[in-house]
Amino acid sequence: MTAKKRERLEVIKDIIYTINKNHEIKPTRLLYASNLSPQMFKEYINELIEKKFIQLEVDEKEKKFFSLTKKGRDFLQEYKMIESFIENFGL
Amino acid sequence: MDIYQIVLANKEVLKVIYALAISLICMFIVVKTDKIYKLSLHKGLRYFRNAFFFYGLAFLARYLFGVLFPTINYTIIFPIFEYLIILAGFFLLYSLTWKKFNPSEKEHSSLINSNVIIFHIMAIILALLDTLLGTFNFMFYSQIIIFFYASLIAYSNYSKNSKRKFLKFYFVAMLLELSLWVLNLLTATLFSFNRLLLLNIGILNIIFFLLILYGIMKITKK
Repeated sequence: MTAKKRERLEVIKDIIYTINKNHEIKPTRLLYASNLSPQMFKEYINELIEKKFIQLEVDEKEKKFFSLTKKGRDFLQEYKMIESFIENFGL
Repeated sequence: MDIYQIVLANKEVLKVIYALAISLICMFIVVKTDKIYKLSLHKGLRYFRNAFFFYGLAFLARYLFGVLFPTINYTIIFPIFEYLIILAGFFLLYSLTWKKFNPSEKEHSSLINSNVIIFHIMAIILALLDTLLGTFNFMFYSQIIIFFYASLIAYSNYSKNSKRKFLKFYFVAMLLELSLWVLNLLTATLFSFNRLLLLNIGILNIIFFLLILYGIMKITKK
């Protein structure tokens, strides 16, 4: 049985959910958790940073990590409603 | 004096109220979906909102400007109305089918991009043809085709995912709009724009927009 291809919105939800669950997460760990190819991962991450859903921060040891912005947390809270809207209208 | 006679006696005032009601419903639909669009950036939702934005503009153009500014020539208002209505229909259909056309992720405008420019061109051509030939038939036929396809897609979506309750309402809304455009065509071609029929078409049209608004309110209130 082949797994159903995830919709763009579902991928975004999974990335944001993973960051939220971990509070903050290193890029490599997020790449593994996202189950995306490095190229696709980069595209999604760039889009999420550009749209201000997530931010890339650097700690005092120069280690990079992702965290959620307020917009990212809002997205997670509203995701069920967004999903319901899109499915109910067949969009 | 029955209700129809009262309505017909006050038709100019009622046209403005009708236009305002539909424009307000459309504006409400666009505003109410703004937050979830900004969060999701979903293209289907974007085209859905465009459709209601153009429906709202169309009714403002036709009835409000026509009644409030009677000096504006109707040969200007009608082509604009037709262009906006046809465009709205295309956007509504595209909101259901956009995934099939591999839209580029890099398209920044949903109002004019390489995929939807054809809608603008077709809407302009159809509106001009109607204006030149002095009919509404090109608009009627285009809308009948659009809502025929939209009804089929809405039914297919409903049969695939019947647990989503509003899919059934959406299918009914598409059927209602299809019936309305068929009725419009019949009224124009067979019944010489019978006023009572036009009044009933107006009522059906408001029911269509209210049905969509009902679905949005029901889903977004959660």
